[in-house]
Amino acid sequence: MIEIHNVTKHFEKIKAVDEVSVNIREKTVFGLIGTNGAGKSTVLRMIAGILKPDEGTVAVDNMPVYDNVEAKKALFFIADEPYFFANTNAGTMERYYSGIYDAFDKEEYYRYLEKFNLDKNRKIGTFSKGMKKQLALLLGICARTKYILCDETFDGLDPVMRQGIKSIFAKEMEERGLTPVIASHNLRELEDICDHVGLLHKGGVLLSKDLEDMKCNIQKVQCVFSTVEDELKALNGLEILKKEQRGSLSTITLRSTREEVEARFATVDTIFYEVLPLSLEEIFISETEVVGYDIKKLILG
Amino acid sequence: MTSKNSFWASCKENHKRRIWLWIVAVLSQLLPYGGITMIYLSRIKNYNANGIYRTAAEFQDALYQAAKDALGFSTDMCSIIALLAAIIGMQGFSYLYDRRKVDLYHSVPVTKTRRFAVIYSNGLFMYLTANLMGILFGLAAAASQRAVNASVLADVGLAFLWNLVMFLAFYHMMILAVMLTGNWFVTVCGFGVIALYEFVVYLLLGDLKEGFFRTFTSYFYSAEPKLSVFTDVSFNAQRLEKLPDLTAKAQLALPLIGKWVLIAAALLALAYAAYRKRPSEAAGKAIAFPVLEPVLKVAVVIPAALLVGTLVYATSSENEMLMVLAMAAAGVIFCCVVEVIYDFDIRSIFKHLVSSGVALAGILAIFCIFKWDIFGYDSYIPAQNKVESIAILTDGYYDSYSYWDENQRYVGADTYAKENMFLTDTEPVLALAQAYLQTDEAAVEKMTAPRTMRILYRLRSGREAVRAIVVDYEEPETEALLNRIFQAEAFKKGTFQVMTDETSYDRVTAISYTNGATIVAVPTEEIWRLREAWIKDMEQFDFTMARDELPCGRLNVEYDNYSQRQWCVYDGFENTIALLDEQEAYYPAQLDAKDIDSITVICYHNELTQDAEAALYHGDPGYALYRKAHAAETFATAKSVYEDYTVRETFYDEEQIAQILPHIHADYLNALWGNYKGMDQNYSVEVVFKKDTTYPYRRDSYYFSYDFIDGQVPDFVAEATAYTE
Repeated sequence: MIEIHNVTKHFEKIKAVDEVSVNIREKTVFGLIGTNGAGKSTVLRMIAGILKPDEGTVAVDNMPVYDNVEAKKALFFIADEPYFFANTNAGTMERYYSGIYDAFDKEEYYRYLEKFNLDKNRKIGTFSKGMKKQLALLLGICARTKYILCDETFDGLDPVMRQGIKSIFAKEMEERGLTPVIASHNLRELEDICDHVGLLHKGGVLLSKDLEDMKCNIQKVQCVFSTVEDELKALNGLEILKKEQRGSLSTITLRSTREEVEARFATVDTIFYEVLPLSLEEIFISETEVVGYDIKKLILG
Repeated sequence: MTSKNSFWASCKENHKRRIWLWIVAVLSQLLPYGGITMIYLSRIKNYNANGIYRTAAEFQDALYQAAKDALGFSTDMCSIIALLAAIIGMQGFSYLYDRRKVDLYHSVPVTKTRRFAVIYSNGLFMYLTANLMGILFGLAAAASQRAVNASVLADVGLAFLWNLVMFLAFYHMMILAVMLTGNWFVTVCGFGVIALYEFVVYLLLGDLKEGFFRTFTSYFYSAEPKLSVFTDVSFNAQRLEKLPDLTAKAQLALPLIGKWVLIAAALLALAYAAYRKRPSEAAGKAIAFPVLEPVLKVAVVIPAALLVGTLVYATSSENEMLMVLAMAAAGVIFCCVVEVIYDFDIRSIFKHLVSSGVALAGILAIFCIFKWDIFGYDSYIPAQNKVESIAILTDGYYDSYSYWDENQRYVGADTYAKENMFLTDTEPVLALAQAYLQTDEAAVEKMTAPRTMRILYRLRSGREAVRAIVVDYEEPETEALLNRIFQAEAFKKGTFQVMTDETSYDRVTAISYTNGATIVAVPTEEIWRLREAWIKDMEQFDFTMARDELPCGRLNVEYDNYSQRQWCVYDGFENTIALLDEQEAYYPAQLDAKDIDSITVICYHNELTQDAEAALYHGDPGYALYRKAHAAETFATAKSVYEDYTVRETFYDEEQIAQILPHIHADYLNALWGNYKGMDQNYSVEVVFKKDTTYPYRRDSYYFSYDFIDGQVPDFVAEATAYTE
């Protein structure tokens, strides 16, 4: 597990990360989202042991990570702009990383290169931005570290490649318990990948929750009640996050399980009601509005 | 079998990314060593083909020397290697400038120590390989021409050691500069600051002391920086090139090498500590450690602004107001420049005003310290019980032409005195220092015979202090004190090298004695007897004798390296004169009128030129006078300054010649001793011998230059050479 406890980091007078505490469980895909400047990269670089926190601790499997080789052996960091040696090719990069990561799987690496149509002899300098990100991801996956830290790595990947990487992640998680940590400024990029999401804003964590928990515990109901009394009876005791009324049609977002909502609405007289699926975006809007933020301004633009 | 993550595997991996540097390193060593060796040897062979060398042995020696010149100590190779060290040091750790590279290297499971060791040792290995390749290639080329022997190998080996340690010092210096900075431009500046800082500070302190302290003297002044490898190399590389034998080279080089090893070790320790502490986020910034920014700014701006100030002071006829203005302006500009460099943003020009204020205050404070002598430099006289010994240099009484070290290389009079004069009777020197402590320019003007005396105090604490005072040689109490000093054996040993030099007489190739007109050879085997006699005669030597008497002759002692030493002989030197008489080499200084054909007296009438100058300049020195001299209204006066007032008169009458002879002294001897009273500079005297005389004057000259002793021009001569319109 990666434990980030009360971590603060300044860059001169700018506080980039402010008392962040997040735990990243193993075998989950952790999404770290936030606007530009929210501190995502800084948090990832502290997890990778590149930056030393001014305050607080970052531990990987109970080991402090900064300047600790044993902790770093469990990590592979892919920067937002991954660096490859000058005039080098995918084969040379493999030789570099396989010299550093003992478990580097060369066979699989070259198999993946073929699968993703990446020429091992072609100079990386001639690769497109997306190809470089793919190559960095493949190097990271084949390093066979427990954690792979991806800074904006998925942004800009085409859907086919995203799907390909996603399936490799799933396979690696299944086979050896890989834990990807993915930072992105775009919520939609993470929706179909992440199990757990941490939302960073202005250096602090707004929320950190399992997507399934969020999805299961927030419901959106569209309904037309027969009477006001029915409405009161149906909603009594439920935590209503948002309610919109258009004529007699009510759209209600509330914190509860689907079963509980259906059971409650079955006891009252409604002309029409339906429990609708929520997108990750809608869940975030609801969750952040609760704590006083307008998520649309923060992430969705 | 080594692990694929072993140190050596990491080194191999690192080398792959430094291939261009390998090429540069190898070429930088192979071409000069190999190329120059072949050129030098080919040149010697051409000389031989043209018959320059008389014997085969001479030719062989020339080949060996050529191999030494090409592969041994070389100023040019020092420059190349220092540059190479800087490039290798910067390239190795330059990944620290780039955030993307830092992200890669600092995220992988490699310890900082391992990474540092890999990059560091690869740089060193690269140099060693390239350097040895160059040397071996050069030696192979030399061996093919039979130009290698043990002496050449020893010379090359010592130079290799010198170059290696110098490389390490500059390599570590550059690594430290990289660790403290975040981009190549600031790194280069930082390297310059580390390499030159101490030298610049010494230069600056010397300039400030010279400008503001009356008692400052550059004699005995150890202005050489103690820790600057740059100045060590600059001052000594050429000397090493020219030294004749390996022992002399080793004596000079090995202490420096030892010192550099310590300096290099300290620099490496600092660089490693900085590497450990350096934050990854420093990539791309000017300074890696923000806490150092104000410190470096103040440390750089103060000496830079003071240097500008001293330059303005020196070029503005010591105008203090201009100096202050120049320093303030330079201080402000340098502060702004530093801030712009720190942020790479012109808008940062007036950032961090506090540190700018500290820098300006520092500049002003240092100026005030020198201007008002806050620490009492000019009033310093050590307590007698704190002084271990003293060395002095007195104007006119040191043999400035004739000091040589054990390798027969010229050394300055102050260097010789520093090493050989240990006056333990310090009382008279301290008494003189006390008596003349307050002597300012006005007091000097009133002196009859003001002369500068430089004093080196060696304190019991191990420290040394140097001061200069102006004493009046005609003042009776001063004369008494100086006599006490001059009579001391320690003074004589520190002034006359013949007293201390006991080992070099087997290298004497010729001895001659001259009274100014004759020159007679003395057998070289007489050198020991002559030395003994002369030292015995010197027992009578004191200040009054040095001041009032003129030498009657001079012994010239020549060495196998063509250096010469002169021993002055006075009329009272009975033992020396007796020995010279025995060798039929002694002739009195005073000539006989019977042998003289004529004496021509030339009077320059300096008093007229001086009067004209005074009328023109009104005591106002400087460039303004030059302009004034060209103004129309002063043209006539100016013209008179350059007019020739010289009057020549030749005397043939034997009686007149006889009257002149007791008052003239051979120019040849005057120049040697430099008696402060000296000669009358208004006159020159040319003595022409009769062609049929038996007097053994030097036949290589038509006339002999003499001078009138100051104040002894006979009246009839003065009248005959008077100036008339």
